[in-house]
Amino acid sequence: MTPGRRLRVAVPKGVLFPDSVRLLAEAGLDTTGLAEPGRQLTVETRDAVFVIAKPTDVPVYVAYGGVDCAIGGKDVLVEAGLDVVELVDLRFGACRFVVAEPEDAGREVDEHYRHLGVVRVATKYPNIAEAHFESRGIQVELVKLHGNIELAPLIGLADQIVDITATGRTLRENHLRIVEDVLESTARFVGNPVSVRTDPRVTALADRLSELPLS
Amino acid sequence: MNLVTPRGFRDRLPAEASERESLSASIGAVFESWGYGLVESPVVEVYAMLEAAAGDLEGTAFRLFDADGRLLALRPDMTLPLARVAASRLRSTPGPHRLRYDAEVFREHESLRGQARQFTQLGVELVGAGGPAADAEIVALMVESLVAAGLPEFTVALGTVAVLHALVDAAGAEPSWKAAVLKAAHDRNLVALDALMAEPQVPAEVGQALSEVMRIKGGREAIERCRAVAASCGCASVLDELEITWDLLDASETSGRVVVDFGVLRDFDYYTGIILEAYAPSLGLPLGGGGRYDGLMTAFGAATPATGFAIGLERLQVALVEQSASAPVRGLDALVGGDPAERFGCAKRLRDAGWHVRMTSADGLELVREAERAGAAEALVARAGALVRLDRDGGPALPLEEPTPAPPTLSWAKGGPR
Repeated sequence: MTPGRRLRVAVPKGVLFPDSVRLLAEAGLDTTGLAEPGRQLTVETRDAVFVIAKPTDVPVYVAYGGVDCAIGGKDVLVEAGLDVVELVDLRFGACRFVVAEPEDAGREVDEHYRHLGVVRVATKYPNIAEAHFESRGIQVELVKLHGNIELAPLIGLADQIVDITATGRTLRENHLRIVEDVLESTARFVGNPVSVRTDPRVTALADRLSELPLS
Repeated sequence: MNLVTPRGFRDRLPAEASERESLSASIGAVFESWGYGLVESPVVEVYAMLEAAAGDLEGTAFRLFDADGRLLALRPDMTLPLARVAASRLRSTPGPHRLRYDAEVFREHESLRGQARQFTQLGVELVGAGGPAADAEIVALMVESLVAAGLPEFTVALGTVAVLHALVDAAGAEPSWKAAVLKAAHDRNLVALDALMAEPQVPAEVGQALSEVMRIKGGREAIERCRAVAASCGCASVLDELEITWDLLDASETSGRVVVDFGVLRDFDYYTGIILEAYAPSLGLPLGGGGRYDGLMTAFGAATPATGFAIGLERLQVALVEQSASAPVRGLDALVGGDPAERFGCAKRLRDAGWHVRMTSADGLELVREAERAGAAEALVARAGALVRLDRDGGPALPLEEPTPAPPTLSWAKGGPR
């Protein structure tokens, strides 16, 4: 069931973008013009319509059928909790979710927890953070921020943060240290549940991507 | 005071509502023609009952307390209420029971997800019959009802959870591993599934088979392919039954719309055998789905086989609009003006002849305009016991023929202009 319509593929802007474009090209898709889209939001080629998406919107586009398939970070997929089919682990864009606190916090957080019974945690990923602390049986108050999460402990907004880190550098520069790991993330190739079932191009692309020599 | 409806709930005005009515009628007629009787159940159920059968419904069921402090829930689907009916009131009646419904169901959704919280399901349940004949009846009925709805393009995917369960059992690994596999399968996470299959405790041939099986789809030959990969893992009888089911679909001339797909899985985890899901091209969500849920009846203390499916009326409507095949709706035949004493009598004569008639106090050009706006086929004025057509400028033209002719929109209702 592929009525003369081009495959619609969402590609995340930002750090995952260059590798995503490279892999799609290596998997045999015509990606002419995709690497340098300028201000275009979509790039149409012989094989596909590429939709250049804000990373956090990727799961929404896929789950609601705005696109047939996409590349997206596992972090964003987990946080969104939407119905998408995870097809291939593309193994790039590795990062991990960690709980971090100020280097000089010492036993302060423990003390805080004992006296106040609650830890205040700032994060951009409230669902992931909530699930993590719930599974540990720790009571937390979550504060959702939209960026620069490292700032929160510095200005006294939170005791700890849950954030992603690739190398840990930003955390160190802001005098934060990692307390524990929450989950690891890499880029995934995902499909809309109906497209995966009905459009052979999606499964074919998944097969080709999984056969690539991934780093 | 803001005159709003709660998020995810909305009103439907005549244009939309009459299309829904027409679709409901076409599909209901197909169900009825297969001998399925209409059942109505309460909108609210006791929450504990739903939970006992369907597992955790937090975040899915719309819950509320009544004045007695009892926890109730708006029905999240119709399968649970009908299974309850079958396990209670129909228990002592000899089966199998063929039940159909046309009902609103309610599900919670987080805000800002653009999801309705009330939708309408048209569906059937076949309780007390198992095996390929019952499975095939349900699949064929789903195909026929979508055809009757006038949907030009769709496919019904037919899978089974039994193969997955057999393979997971064959692996002989610990329960936590089994649970993780089933969860990954339900989350449609093939990456996690492959990782679980590659674990050292899993026999290589089982892991390999499961990874492959999830990706097999096609016609009857797909069942053969599955057999080649997985039959050694104790699911040969499941596949035999699926082949018989396919042949019965062939016999009912519905297999052309069906694709066997071993990767199909549904959200509700009460399914125990076949699973079906209907798709329309370029609609990113399934039109409907269902399957065999023998375990659910067991949870209600009435161990008996059961199958069923539901079609989402709203999604069907979207698919019809996208395929330019909106449900045919019969419009107005005439607007009748004139002195009230005249128009009431004449309008009755028209209605008796099967016309759809709206009366109006407008006259002349104003009446003609109103008729155009209402999409009425005729603009008539009742004078001296007779009906006269108005011309475009609102002046009297030819009289309406005697005896009253057949309603002009009747022929339109068969797919012509609205």
